[in-house]
Amino acid sequence: MNAILDEIKKNLIEGRVDSEDEGFEEEMIGQPGVTELVQQALDENVPSADILNQALTGGMEEVGRRYESGMYLIPDMLASAECVAKATKILEPHLKSSEIQKQEKFLIATVEDDLHDIGKNIVATILQGSGFEVRDLGTSVSTSKIVEAVKESKAKFLGLSALLTSTMPHMKKVIDLLKKEGIRDQVVVCIGGAPVTDAFASKIGADLYGEDAFDAIDKLAKLSS
Amino acid sequence: MNDALQDKKMSEGFALKRHALLSGQECQEIHAGSCRLLEEVGVEVTLKEAVDYFQRGGAVYSEGRIKISREMIEKAVQQTAKTIFLGAKNPENAIHIETDKPTVFLGTGGQALYVLHYEDGGYRKKPAESRDLIAILRLCEHLDNVDFITRPVEPDVPDEEMDLTKTRIFMANTTKHMNLANLIFAERLPEIIQTVQDKSQISFISCVLVSPLRLAGSTLEKFIRIVEMDIPVSISSCPQAGLTAPLSEVGELIQVNAEVLSAVVLANLVRPGAKVLYRGIPITSNLHLDVSPRWCQPDAIRRIALVSDMTHYYGIPCCGTAAVSDEKEPNPQTVAEKTLSYAVEMASGAQFINSALGMLEQVMTVCPEQYIIDDLVIKRIKKLFSESPQYDLKVLACSAVKETLKGFGIQMSSQMEDDISNRMDFILSGMEDYSPENMTANVDLIAQAIESGKSSSKFMKTSRRGLRKGWLFCGQSFEGQLDLTEVHHLKNEILE
Repeated sequence: MNAILDEIKKNLIEGRVDSEDEGFEEEMIGQPGVTELVQQALDENVPSADILNQALTGGMEEVGRRYESGMYLIPDMLASAECVAKATKILEPHLKSSEIQKQEKFLIATVEDDLHDIGKNIVATILQGSGFEVRDLGTSVSTSKIVEAVKESKAKFLGLSALLTSTMPHMKKVIDLLKKEGIRDQVVVCIGGAPVTDAFASKIGADLYGEDAFDAIDKLAKLSS
Repeated sequence: MNDALQDKKMSEGFALKRHALLSGQECQEIHAGSCRLLEEVGVEVTLKEAVDYFQRGGAVYSEGRIKISREMIEKAVQQTAKTIFLGAKNPENAIHIETDKPTVFLGTGGQALYVLHYEDGGYRKKPAESRDLIAILRLCEHLDNVDFITRPVEPDVPDEEMDLTKTRIFMANTTKHMNLANLIFAERLPEIIQTVQDKSQISFISCVLVSPLRLAGSTLEKFIRIVEMDIPVSISSCPQAGLTAPLSEVGELIQVNAEVLSAVVLANLVRPGAKVLYRGIPITSNLHLDVSPRWCQPDAIRRIALVSDMTHYYGIPCCGTAAVSDEKEPNPQTVAEKTLSYAVEMASGAQFINSALGMLEQVMTVCPEQYIIDDLVIKRIKKLFSESPQYDLKVLACSAVKETLKGFGIQMSSQMEDDISNRMDFILSGMEDYSPENMTANVDLIAQAIESGKSSSKFMKTSRRGLRKGWLFCGQSFEGQLDLTEVHHLKNEILE
């Protein structure tokens, strides 16, 4: 493998987005990270498809293997997923249309009156790293604003998060409004959050419940296959 | 104690020698770090009324954040009430918290969503209802080691009826101090006071802080109303290391301290001499598995006790937290981790220890049997503290686990004994240095995390090296079946 591709892969496995990232070793700070190296590779005319397939996909496969074996933990996975998401943005304009895997649009929001964003942010990052085009609507997003965003973006997926039992009912309100607007069948509604359960998802008519980010990815993959 | 209270017979609480984990110098360093955080980064405030209070008090408001000077913080700490009287329907159950006395009171806690019912030889988890609240209050009325009641579950009524229904259920079913925990509508406060007649019999908990460093709008308004009415209120902040705070205990402690102090300042601007309790709960995240909160693991037990040290440094009443088990059902692991948590938190000198009975599955579930188990465990620990007033905390806690498990028919293996010993070593030793350099690094990290707008990603990513250094304890889980014959019998006797 080209030396710079090897370097990109190594930094992706380290989860270093840019030169300010520490990775596992403090002495790495100041050295170029994935985004700088991807730009450097493009400047050196390394084929964009090679960067994508050999460095990014290859790196993420290794991260997946390490996670499966228990060597890597959730924060490691998150850091590498963030590298892929940022690098893909840089690569996009340089990839031929045939090389670009069509990214599915995924809207994500924490429902009305709920200001918690941790779970949502983790899921958004992992989804980006897994090839989704994620649009984060933020926290305490009103039901009408969520449905309006679904209409306007024509997103195939909608992720709703809630941490409070008092805000969970807003998930049902979103689904009800999607039905009322006649667009329920156009979007896969995924829900998650600490008090949310599979039974609650069935009860309110959601399509998918993700226990955590990785569970959501697995279920989305099954849904797509 | 003031003269009016001297003649009254009240709950004595449990007095013991305090075991501090932090030195005065370390507390001073944490205080300096928190002050720097509040001075330079500030706390996000959206409620105009609160912004006005802060500004009138001399704080600077810029881009949605209130920046508070060290002078303002220290003035507020000085002003805060140093003694708090918590009345009760039965005067003998009244509590008097005095910050210069290491006397602890233990009570229930939580806003559990589920109740675990023991039926046909097994546990069944059901959504909590009003009748569960009644049953738990009746049960706790009979338990000697429940000094006060914090609302364990909410009644299953619409939000509009919640505040008054809860108050009436409390009034009818307990003679102990009523910590109603949250207030749904501020405008219900006068009716609540009218219902209880003597407002000293109630207190609240205000989850006014969202980590990192945000004072939540709607809760903030209720907090101000409670303080205005001169009702005691615990200022609650519960960051989760690795997600909403740095994984480092130093970083998390600086942050939780700054968060609670920001509300202490506000409370004293609203009403100088405010009756507030410092309730910092710096728990950790299970970053190995599913990022779920860890409440009762050695890392969390240690951090919660460190908060108590900070409250003693300030001389502010402490609302502690103990024994919120991470287990889903009563079992040997539940008993072991709860026992360690009681021993350490009681020794820390936290005066008003909340959430101490009945809680399982982090804060999601309560179980009637668990209240009785916990009451028995607390009784045993108090006995051990009484027998050795100059206790060695590790020796005492390890003996307590051994004795409590034996009381439920479990003989500890040498492997279990080693694990408990390792847990106590972890709790008592600490792995980080409290140097000014480490303080600066953590303040900078918190500032960067807030500035990035994606604080959870930043905290999680920067936790990777700490994880590899072993900042989260990894131990074993004890298997086995507790002998709960006596517990089931007692529960039936009380509730039938």
